[in-house]
Amino acid sequence: MPEKKAQPTELLQGTLDLLILKSLQSGPMHGYGVAEWIHECSQDVLRVEEGALYPALHRLELRGLLSAQWGMSDNNRRAKFYALTAAGRKQLAQETDYWQRMSGAVARILQTA
Amino acid sequence: MRAGHFNEIWQRLRVLFKPKQLDRDLEDEVAFHLAMREHKNHAQGMDEREAGYAARRQFGNSTAVKERTREMWILTSLETLRRDFTYALRTLTKKPGFTAVAIVTLALGIGASTAIFSVIENVLLEPFPYPDAKRFMTVEIHDASRGESAGRAEYSAPEYLDYIEKNHVFDLAIADASEEVLYNVGEGVERLHGVLVTPNTFEFFGLPALRGRVLQPADYEPGAPPVFILRYKTWMANFAGDPGALNKTFVLNGVARTLVGIMPPRFGWGDGDVFIPVKPTRSETPVIPGEFPPVWYLMGHLKLGVSVQQAHADLTVVANQLAKVYPKSYPEHFVVKIVSATDMVVGHFRATLYLTLGAVALLLLISCANLANLLLARATTREKEFAIRAALGAGRWRLIRQLMVESLILSFCGGVLGIALAAVGLNSIVAMMPQVTIPAETEISLNLPVLAFALAVAMLTPLIFGLIPALRATRDDLEKPLRESGKGTSGSARQGHLRDAVIVCEVALSFTLLVGAGLLMRSFVALCGVNLGLRPDHVLVSRLPLPSERYKTAAQVTSFFRPLLTRVKTLPGVLDAAESSAFPPYGGFLSEIEIPGKVHRDKWNALFQLCSEGYFSVLRIELKEGRTFDAAEVNDARKVAVVNKTFAHRYFGNENPIGQRVRFSDLENFPDRVPDPWFEIVGVVADALNQGLQEPPQPEAWLPYTVSGSGQRGILVRTSNDPMMLMDSVRREVWATDRSVALTYTGSMENFINSQSFAGPRFGFVLMSAFAAVGLLLVSIGVYSVVAYATARRTHEIGIRMALGATRADALKLVLGTGMRIIGLGVGIGLAASLALSHLLASQLWQVSVHDPATIACVAALLLTTGALACWLPARRATGIEPTLALRHE
Repeated sequence: MPEKKAQPTELLQGTLDLLILKSLQSGPMHGYGVAEWIHECSQDVLRVEEGALYPALHRLELRGLLSAQWGMSDNNRRAKFYALTAAGRKQLAQETDYWQRMSGAVARILQTA
Repeated sequence: MRAGHFNEIWQRLRVLFKPKQLDRDLEDEVAFHLAMREHKNHAQGMDEREAGYAARRQFGNSTAVKERTREMWILTSLETLRRDFTYALRTLTKKPGFTAVAIVTLALGIGASTAIFSVIENVLLEPFPYPDAKRFMTVEIHDASRGESAGRAEYSAPEYLDYIEKNHVFDLAIADASEEVLYNVGEGVERLHGVLVTPNTFEFFGLPALRGRVLQPADYEPGAPPVFILRYKTWMANFAGDPGALNKTFVLNGVARTLVGIMPPRFGWGDGDVFIPVKPTRSETPVIPGEFPPVWYLMGHLKLGVSVQQAHADLTVVANQLAKVYPKSYPEHFVVKIVSATDMVVGHFRATLYLTLGAVALLLLISCANLANLLLARATTREKEFAIRAALGAGRWRLIRQLMVESLILSFCGGVLGIALAAVGLNSIVAMMPQVTIPAETEISLNLPVLAFALAVAMLTPLIFGLIPALRATRDDLEKPLRESGKGTSGSARQGHLRDAVIVCEVALSFTLLVGAGLLMRSFVALCGVNLGLRPDHVLVSRLPLPSERYKTAAQVTSFFRPLLTRVKTLPGVLDAAESSAFPPYGGFLSEIEIPGKVHRDKWNALFQLCSEGYFSVLRIELKEGRTFDAAEVNDARKVAVVNKTFAHRYFGNENPIGQRVRFSDLENFPDRVPDPWFEIVGVVADALNQGLQEPPQPEAWLPYTVSGSGQRGILVRTSNDPMMLMDSVRREVWATDRSVALTYTGSMENFINSQSFAGPRFGFVLMSAFAAVGLLLVSIGVYSVVAYATARRTHEIGIRMALGATRADALKLVLGTGMRIIGLGVGIGLAASLALSHLLASQLWQVSVHDPATIACVAALLLTTGALACWLPARRATGIEPTLALRHE
């Protein structure tokens, strides 16, 4: 199924998706971990409402970009761990590339003014 | 990888079937997050309450989050399913012929087998609602020197009491007897079928009353207040189910009886409307003064642990003792038979039903074989499609899932149509079924376990055979099917042989079915062509039970019929009318006879009827010698007799019977007895059937009805137009003569003969023919699809042959030859099978040999022609092949 990239409302969502994919690049994590990772890496610049993370996680799972498994957390609680699938890795690479070109282009435009 | 995919799909589908699980998981996930955040907040110095609040604040609206997530799951799952279904539907509708045939094949298999199994279950296995009905046994006395059917199951009251006392095998035994019950309602007389029941009857059946109570021991005692029990059906019909009828008093046959109980719907022993308690005694007084004493049908309940063989041994001893006490009632050499209640009621129908079951099993086999074949053939043509799709990256699971959905759609449609067919089929079978052969208690309804079984089989067949292409396509050597079709060879030989074998079996099965149907049809045609010896068309019959309290003597009975016949004869449209004590094709009373000067060791007997002078002209029975009796002789009750040819031939040989005298001994035992019952023979008439349609006529005599007042009577009316049109005017004349006479069994004689004598054989033959026709249709489809498929696969080869100089005729021969070899082999095997199985049919046939060569030849010709036609269509296509096109093909 082709992705609808052009729609503006999707852009923000796409951003969140990209952050999630990125957060899982180094290994499986539960939702709380993903939220913490985003906070730390963005130095709290990207203040995501934590609840909004979950529909995004599930959507990525349904699209087959993430796989999910129930397991035990460090403090021995039942938690759902997300991991990148092969398709997810491919998507992450594509999106990263896209973002870098996009942000580079926007930056160049802003500089020329 | 595959497991992962499976897991993913399973998770999605699970959402649809187990939405609770999804809710729980979401709940846990959010709770985990909140707990972790709260823990961290706490660790950063907030107090416990503040930490919890902050965690929830940071999370946002958790209900909305869960709601959104759940929606997403459900929509996606539905979407996935929808996509698979649309794709499957598109694939199926692209080949509407295949789809329709597959669905109809499935539906026929499910429908026919369920309908017939339901009938067999309800009629043969569980016909009675009584708890222990399997141990209900009757005792029959058969004359060893005569045929199978010559036996009796009825006993006089003293005999019945003796059997109860002397046997050691029944823990409970009862008897019942039929009695016509007349009772007055408003403006006319109603007639009910009464059943006289002996003490313990209701204990025997073990069913409680629906309303009121069943009969108790005290009800049977002499001097007890007269009571009776009502059947549910009659309660509904005559009282509209009014509970107020209970405990009311009705005058039945002149006795005021209180209705004390109404039985539940399925109780209907002896097909009675009302059940009247009677305690048989050794004095054998008639229940109704002036009538014959009742004959009792004995029914015993086998003790636990007693086998039918033991019962037979015990009752044979008892019967041999009783034969000395009642020498007149027992033939010189007799055998005792123990027959279960079920066998007694449905015994002769059993063969027809089992035969039908066999036919249905064959049909189900053909259906499944055909479906398997269709799917296999289609699978092979789709091998390439799947190989290409697999090569393009479609996962094995994805292909399997798609095929599964396709198969499920086929199964579902076939299943729904099958259930509908089963319901419709069952209704038609029940409507066509000869009612007299089924116990009154039997209720025929769809059998759910059987339906479930048929559905399961029907679901599995397409699933198994439908999955083969996916499994083959996703084997290791993906490119093999691609290579194969490129070369244009005819596919794997192993699969080809399998398909051929299936067709051979189908043809053989169909042959067997068609032979069965053909033989039954020939037998039925023979039965229809039977010469009754009389003309049943344009005859209205009506049985007229006379109130016994006022019609006991010959004079009383004559005083009713003489004016009635005069009145009826003057009706417009009536040609002639007569009184009669029996209706064709059955004769009347059986009596021992004596003829002066004849010495013989065995007993001589003859049927006799009491009739008026118009009898022979109403029925158009041909006079052979002498004359029939005239009006004056009937009026004066002169002792004259007319006999049939069989009578004259058997007892007088070449002598002239006219003027000879015959004594009908049993007339002396009639309640209105005829003293010195010697009759002078005045005429001989042609034989008319008097034992039903399938038995040769027995010696029979006709005597003036005015000699005795006993026995059942009725009238026969010959009309110039449709006899049914005269029913109302005849009824008016009957009631004008006597208001208290009821008309029963009134209608056209032709209809009665049709429903009584033709219904059974017609049922067997129509059912068998329907199955055979469906079977033939399925076989043609099977042959066509396989040959068409094989031809399509060989297009390339045929092209090469034609390019190398083969003519169209050669190509035609090639294709036809392949098909006909298979069909020929099937016909051969079918012939052998039907010869081997034909003895199963023997009991159902009449005047047709089980090896009837004409039938077998016709069936073989029919199958070969149909088969040739099914091959011809694809063959013609093959001969139209342009060599150049064919070589470029694929």
